[in-house]
Amino acid sequence: MKILIANRGEIAVRIIRACREMGLPTVAVYSDCDRGARHVRDADQAVHIGPSPPSQSYLRIDRLLDAARATGADAVHPGYGFLAENAAFARACRDAGLTFIGPSPDAIEKMGSKTGARAIATRAGVPVVPGTDEPFAAAATDRQIVDAATRVGYPLLVKAVAGGGGKGMRAVETPDSLLNAVRTARSEAGSAFGDTAVYFERRLIRPRHIEIQLLGDCHGTIVPFVERECSIQRRHQKVVEESPSLAVTPALRGRIAAAAQSVAKAAGYTSAGTIEFLLDEDGSFYFLEMNTRLQVEHPVTEMVTSIDLVHWQIRIAQGERLSIDPERALAPHGHAIECRIYAEDPDQGFMPSPGLIRGVRAASGPGIRNDGGVVAGYTVPVFYDSMIAKLIAWAESRGAALARMERALREYEVLGIRTTIPFFLWLMREPDFVDGRFDTTYLDQVLASRRGDSFMTLTEPEETELAIAAGLDAWWRATSGAASSSRASGSAWKSAARQDALRG
Amino acid sequence: MTFEIEVNGRTRRVSVERAGTEPGQFLVGVDGTTKVVDARRVGEFGISLLFPGDAHAGTAIDLAPGSAPGEVLAHLAGRTIRIVVNGRRAARRGADTSGTAHGEQKVTAPMPGRVVRVLVAQGEGVAARQPVVVVEAMKMENELRSPKAGRVKDVAVEAGTSVEAGRVLIVIE
Repeated sequence: MKILIANRGEIAVRIIRACREMGLPTVAVYSDCDRGARHVRDADQAVHIGPSPPSQSYLRIDRLLDAARATGADAVHPGYGFLAENAAFARACRDAGLTFIGPSPDAIEKMGSKTGARAIATRAGVPVVPGTDEPFAAAATDRQIVDAATRVGYPLLVKAVAGGGGKGMRAVETPDSLLNAVRTARSEAGSAFGDTAVYFERRLIRPRHIEIQLLGDCHGTIVPFVERECSIQRRHQKVVEESPSLAVTPALRGRIAAAAQSVAKAAGYTSAGTIEFLLDEDGSFYFLEMNTRLQVEHPVTEMVTSIDLVHWQIRIAQGERLSIDPERALAPHGHAIECRIYAEDPDQGFMPSPGLIRGVRAASGPGIRNDGGVVAGYTVPVFYDSMIAKLIAWAESRGAALARMERALREYEVLGIRTTIPFFLWLMREPDFVDGRFDTTYLDQVLASRRGDSFMTLTEPEETELAIAAGLDAWWRATSGAASSSRASGSAWKSAARQDALRG
Repeated sequence: MTFEIEVNGRTRRVSVERAGTEPGQFLVGVDGTTKVVDARRVGEFGISLLFPGDAHAGTAIDLAPGSAPGEVLAHLAGRTIRIVVNGRRAARRGADTSGTAHGEQKVTAPMPGRVVRVLVAQGEGVAARQPVVVVEAMKMENELRSPKAGRVKDVAVEAGTSVEAGRVLIVIE
């Protein structure tokens, strides 16, 4: 089986690694700005699919199918994002005689609609967050909208039916801001997903985001895994994930896993997927949505179960029966935590910081996994999500995993651009995070309370050491050419000096 | 040789001279306090420092060129710190974004994207670092802040406008 990876960045690298381990040849695809990207170098073959904007390359179904034909690929792995949850793409692959490494187009479609997925969960006997069962018609009157909101109750969330990542979502505290929130959510959903349909959900006050990974084979077996805790979110985007959750007892785990399994069964689900739940303070949990793909945070599950989810996605697509011991999948060994490292400047409100990466030295050592997608000399493009790597730490306990993560973050060097590593260093010592006292509102609140304080705090000796290092560096450069200089003939420094000279 | 070095916004006077004839041995003064430093370059960006007089304490720092003249981005134990060497000119440039800027200031798009929301109106008073416009780029909504306290002189875009990097969005006076 030759596999075309319809994606880029770290997830393309991750999938290529699995293929190589399984002895399967790989085909990468790339846009204009990704010619020098790592996934292109790692794959056996690589095909150019168009200009840098995603709509002209990574989202072009026709070009991806052409690339598969041109290289003789038999299967397509969509990764996450881009076309991973696009039923038309899964269908087009099938129609072209390609194996789509993911669920059926039918299952993607059923679970892709948030209201449709809620209905399936309800029929499977799984509680959903109270809300409207159907999206509003575009022609719904203000009166109908207000009445529906009153039935659901405040505070509530306006959510896009096609939504994800917080897009097209608005929190409404009181009735007077309702209509305005519906309007903005609709327009945001329209531009983000091409679908303006929205619905209401009651907003839980302090929920945790708990999700269940599962695998389903083509013979009716579905295996749920130990939960992931994904409550650490900045503006509805997960930034840290861990497994297991401090808030989930073995008994609760069994109940949530069984609920996830019955939803997946009801959807006729195959391949890897994730069912997201909100866990309320009183221990009750509610179905939120299903992600019909491999998730960004899948490594934490792999680390605590020693089961390779991407291998299994491929084996399932090859028709193999799941032979995982269900008890093992639900019994975590130790604790794993993941930090999503973004090319963003945490001191500038997490502004993207694209640009040339001069050097990378990923953390390593015991219990550390680095799922990276960039190399030195690569320019982080402005066209895509700015995540450059995922750093995962495993240890026997949560406390040891946090200490190991902090150690690895200090080791991790990305030169030339700003990253979110200093923010994670701060978080690893934030008392509420360390003690596990958090819910999905925690991170935005604790960040707001810092009022923009810098994450680049230095001790007095560190500041002096930096001045000494910069002084020596300047001295070496000023005296370079002198016989004994140990100044490397650094091309980066030379070109920077040239630029300085040109700017006068 | 003496340099003026700004680390994290604080300017230090750093003097460097060789200590003896052994390679890598230096006397380095920072604001008048001098230390013996054993320094080695490691690769293109790395510097290893040992301080024989401070119980042989050591530290590893990487320095890579930044985007502005004289600017260096240093890496020290997971943090990225901006350093400016001999940069009275560059230091002033840096101060433009520090919240104490003077005169008319423009808020520009840092990268190509789309204006999602304009948070201020023409004539409105703004505080330093107050968010003034939200631009979506790289799949994220980014709040751009006012570089200074002042009044909004001009709003050059509206929600929905696609912008190129460097496009002026808001002018503060």
